[in-house]
Amino acid sequence: MKDIRNISDFLLEINVEELPASYVRPALDRLKNAFIEKLRAKHIGHGDIAVFGTAGTLICFIKGMQMKQEELSQEISGPPKKIAFDEDNNPTPQAIGFAKNQGVEVKDLKTKSTPKGEYVFIVKKVKTRLTKEVISEIVPEIIKSMNFPKTMKWDDSGIRFARPIEAIMILLGKENIKVKIGNAPIKTAKGLSAGSYLKKLEKICLLDQGRRKSEIEKMINSAQKKLGLDEYIDKNLLEETNFLVKSPVLMVGEFDQKFLQVPKDVLAASMSKYQRIFTVSKNKELVNKFIAVLDGKGRNLAKMRKVYGNILEARLKDSLFFYNDDVKKPLSEHTAKLKDLIFHKDLGSMFEKIQRLEALSSFICERLGVGAAEKEDIKRAAYLCKSDLVTQMVGEFPSLQGVMGMEYSLKSGEKESVARAIKEHYLPKGLDDNLPETTQGAILAISDRIDNVVGLLGAGIDVKGSFDPFGIRRNSLGLIQIIKHKGFRIDLISLIDKAIELYISSDRRSDGYDRRSELKGKFKLPPEKLKNKIINYIKERLEFLTPETRPLELKQAVFASGSADIVDTFARVKALSEISSEKYFLKAAKVCERTSNILKGARGEKTGMVDQGLLKEDLEKEVWKAYSANSKRIKDLIDKEDYKEATKAYADAFFEVLHKFFDNVFVNAEDMLLRSNRLAMMQAINKLYTNDVADLAMLPQIAVE
Amino acid sequence: MKKLSFQDVIEKLNKFWSARGCLIVEPLDTEVGAGTFHPATFFKSLGKEPWRVAYVQPSRRPCDGRYADNPLRLQHYYQYQVIIKPTVPDIRKIYIDSLKSLGIDLKAHEVRFVEDDWESPTLGASGLGWEVWLDSLEITQFTYFQQVAGIELGLVPCEITYGLERICMFIQEKFNLFELEWHNGVTYGDMHRQHEIEYSRYNFEEADIEMYSRMFESFEKEANRLCDKGLVYPAYNFVLKTSHAFNVLDARGAISQNERPRYIARVRGLAKRCADLYLPR
Repeated sequence: MKDIRNISDFLLEINVEELPASYVRPALDRLKNAFIEKLRAKHIGHGDIAVFGTAGTLICFIKGMQMKQEELSQEISGPPKKIAFDEDNNPTPQAIGFAKNQGVEVKDLKTKSTPKGEYVFIVKKVKTRLTKEVISEIVPEIIKSMNFPKTMKWDDSGIRFARPIEAIMILLGKENIKVKIGNAPIKTAKGLSAGSYLKKLEKICLLDQGRRKSEIEKMINSAQKKLGLDEYIDKNLLEETNFLVKSPVLMVGEFDQKFLQVPKDVLAASMSKYQRIFTVSKNKELVNKFIAVLDGKGRNLAKMRKVYGNILEARLKDSLFFYNDDVKKPLSEHTAKLKDLIFHKDLGSMFEKIQRLEALSSFICERLGVGAAEKEDIKRAAYLCKSDLVTQMVGEFPSLQGVMGMEYSLKSGEKESVARAIKEHYLPKGLDDNLPETTQGAILAISDRIDNVVGLLGAGIDVKGSFDPFGIRRNSLGLIQIIKHKGFRIDLISLIDKAIELYISSDRRSDGYDRRSELKGKFKLPPEKLKNKIINYIKERLEFLTPETRPLELKQAVFASGSADIVDTFARVKALSEISSEKYFLKAAKVCERTSNILKGARGEKTGMVDQGLLKEDLEKEVWKAYSANSKRIKDLIDKEDYKEATKAYADAFFEVLHKFFDNVFVNAEDMLLRSNRLAMMQAINKLYTNDVADLAMLPQIAVE
Repeated sequence: MKKLSFQDVIEKLNKFWSARGCLIVEPLDTEVGAGTFHPATFFKSLGKEPWRVAYVQPSRRPCDGRYADNPLRLQHYYQYQVIIKPTVPDIRKIYIDSLKSLGIDLKAHEVRFVEDDWESPTLGASGLGWEVWLDSLEITQFTYFQQVAGIELGLVPCEITYGLERICMFIQEKFNLFELEWHNGVTYGDMHRQHEIEYSRYNFEEADIEMYSRMFESFEKEANRLCDKGLVYPAYNFVLKTSHAFNVLDARGAISQNERPRYIARVRGLAKRCADLYLPR
């Protein structure tokens, strides 16, 4: 039972000079997890843990923290009972010595039976400590262990944090606990308990990030409604704004109509980047208004509105300057400049990249049998798709890559479908982003991603944990998503082969000098190893994108089989998940399991073709008959991708007959010829299913009935 | 109350920072892109001696010229630079006080510290800090230096760089910097408009690429030669000259994306040489 008098609420407040907005949420999560972990390790009981934060304040509030560690007892084993006590149950010198060493009386010795026999032991209480002592140790550890993308130092204490720490306060109930964290001053809340201190803070500002965010959202939406505008909020800007303000106040402002001639995306990028203000639209058309979220009431809104509006117009004027300069020549005339733009220091220029994209996308077109008109579009789009990178506008707003490519290509008189493919080839930008809709955009997007993954992994760049600066993970995930979304039936392995080949052949200079030997130094791995690495990498991502299966291992079983056709892989996972509790599925799995076990035992043995002449026992002839009679039908079903029927046919064909066979025939016969013939038969049955559907032997122990 | 002129703002800031222990020094007489290049910041950030200084630095960014056509951009403008080394815990409060000393009403207006990790690749300098926004107008760059010339700093200096034109725009409520009052009815435009127009033309259209390329090479050579002789300050002056030559070549579109990092690395290498020579003193 918890003693209510022995618990108190706890609060840690870290005041820090404004953190980057994107740091706050992850920092709060880490703070919470660190407390959960440390308190568990230190055996301090507690109730709910809540974290609150703004750019300048991080708070962890824990309800009902126990004032001291839980009483713990520890068992310490001593000598075996038969050594510690004689036949009359009197303690021997060994028992007395053990008790003395442990500081207990002989009468406190207990015995228990263990697999090794009966042993003497004692139960020792571990000394408990007061929570406040433990807290003053763990808080500095927690604060020092908070990781940030970048940290700094600001004084000579040696402490590092994302920005200088201004003050620390710790309250356990009403007691202020002092800790030393660098030179940070310790704040006190004289007389206030943790709970009432939190209430006081909440009166000053909207401390709870969740409530604050929904409040901002509500304010924006109701302003939009009142003005008859679309109810739309840029989600990323909202998240950032939430950590720029503590007490949100809304301001609607205006700018000169004439700036609406600036392309919509440029307007939005400029407003978001330079002023963190929201665009507003009516019937999806931007209007010359903006919404700013300010911090704190009592501002001179009339003057602020004027400042915001004027700054915005000056910025847009600059954007127009860039735009007008960029469109002085058609987009295709920017392309040559890509020769001077490095893709990656070991992988050549962006110009070489677009040449590879042209070849790779035309390879995909051939594989998929894409029509001549679309193929022509893709070729043109591949040539133009990176050209906007050397325009001034994308130099100023890197987030507009692709968007400007589309805008400028339309201005230059390119086809709509080409322009769209240029924009779409950057999609999806993240896991939840839109996918390319047009065939042209999708094929170009696939080509670009394969080229990135192959090149970057080849150059020896890797993904470490969450550190993926070149977006290898994002590229692979996007690749799989696009192929799945478009239902493109393409063998990834041939695609990877082609991409590797293009990197190698692009190194052949026009004068015929073959630089392939130099390339060995560039690609850190030989092509075969690289290829395996890429395939494994993509398979891992594929697994990440596949919904959970029951049993869990089913996914792995599917990935272990079949070609690298992504659409087919998803189809197999789906089909088998749906039948995984059917009896015939379990029977099929059993067939895989038994054949696989017997083959495992025969590792190293030659298992070639089955020789009918060597079939001796009736039962083995029967098994072979079942194989001969059913294998074609099963293969046809697999070819038709009817995996449910194939599984059923496989179970029907082999389960019963194999059951009898294993009960009565000894596969590993003395006679080498007989044995390897039987193993060959087992292999044929096993591969019939596991090669192309799933290696069901990977499922946990299967019991039919 | 009469609104502060451009000249008044400089005077007020000098007074404010002088009262807080800063030496008020004069601008460097060589073309630089920012106040950070002044030896009073570059060299004095290194080493273990405390240092407080403030000064105006005319700065040139050839790429930012807009032929006097943009209300917010100039290729030549004025920075007000403050270095407090080591930084002090209430430095941000002091900075806010400096804004108040200019008569800016911070109850009616909002100051925002927006993440911006500053970096000068040519000087090998970097730090963490913010852009300071006054009602969405960026008026100051506020940085805790961590490195200069690639050297990790022992005493962390706080660098406060005010954009003087921006602050005056706010104070005088003029959103075109050419309309700012320099003093006594004379405008910033009177002083600088023609200068901006001519230099925009020069930087973008007229600067002799071949001459600047040659100059870059000569300045680099001279800087190295002077380093060999242990003449740190003259050597550093030639480093600054290479940096400006690079900026002009860049504005002329004479530097490809490929060459750019190499140019920057060359300047950085020279700056590093100077810092290494300076430090043991």
